[in-house]
Amino acid sequence: MAATDVVGRIKAHIGKTQKPVTATVEAGHLRRFAESIGDPNPRWNEEAPPTFLVAIAPTSYHLDEAEQYGKGWLNGGNRFEYLEPVKVGDRITATGKVADVYEKSGSSGNLLFIIFETEYTNQHGRTVARLRGTAIRR
Amino acid sequence: MSLAVKVGDEIPELVKHPTTRQLVQYAGASGDFYEIHYDQDFARSVSLPGVILHGLLKAGYVGQLLTDWVGDRGTLKSFEVSYRGVDVPGKPYRCRGRITKVDGKNVELDVWGEDDNGQKTTLGTAMVELD
Repeated sequence: MAATDVVGRIKAHIGKTQKPVTATVEAGHLRRFAESIGDPNPRWNEEAPPTFLVAIAPTSYHLDEAEQYGKGWLNGGNRFEYLEPVKVGDRITATGKVADVYEKSGSSGNLLFIIFETEYTNQHGRTVARLRGTAIRR
Repeated sequence: MSLAVKVGDEIPELVKHPTTRQLVQYAGASGDFYEIHYDQDFARSVSLPGVILHGLLKAGYVGQLLTDWVGDRGTLKSFEVSYRGVDVPGKPYRCRGRITKVDGKNVELDVWGEDDNGQKTTLGTAMVELD
C-alpha cells in the first residue's frame, strides 16, 4: 500500500475522542511509580508526582494503521499542564484524542508525527491536568 | 520561606543513574511495554543502539528536578520537553534548569537533560508559580 494512503487513513482519526478510561489513584501505584523514577520525595506517598498521570491511561492509543508506516515508534515530546493536585484516592478519568497528524522528511527518510492530547478530570468533574504528546513513526 | 530567584540563575542539578532494571520498573509502573525499553534484540532490529530510556522517564527526571527545587514554596504549573536524542542505561543522565523570566510570582525556566558527553538530548521549558 502506498504510504500516502496510510497517512490519509491515519489523518481520518484527527479530532476523534477515545473512550474515556477511569482509574483510582492508589498509594501502592504511586510508590512504585516514584521508585521507578528514583524519586524518594515523601510527598509522593500522598500526591501524584508530575508525570504520574501517564500511568493512569496510555498517553497514545493504538492506531493499527500507524503500524503500517515505518518500522518503529519514538516519543518526540510531552507537555504537562497542571490545574489541581492529584491525591491518593482520587478517581481520575482520562480522555484522549488525536489532535494532529503530519509527515516530515528527515535525514533518514520520512517521519510521521501523531499528536495526542489527553485531558484528566477528577471525581468532582474538574479538569486536573492536560497532556500533549508527540508520537513519531520512523 | 520564599525563593530568591533571578533571571540567569541555575537551579540545583539532578544527576540520575538509569539502569536496565530501572527501565523495567518504569515499564511496569507506567504501563509502557514497548520492547525497545527492555528487549536488546528488538531494540537493535529497529536500528537503535540497544534498549533506550523511555522519553517519559526522562520527563519524570525533569519533573523531579523541578519539584525538588520548588518544594513547598510554590506550584509547578506546566512543563514541556522534546526528546532530541536516545539515551541508554548505564550512563549518567544530568538534568539542569535555568531561570529565563520572573514576573511577580510567575517564574519561567529552560530545562534540559544531558548525556555523559554533554549532549542535550532533552530540551524543554517550565512554568512555576511561587507562593
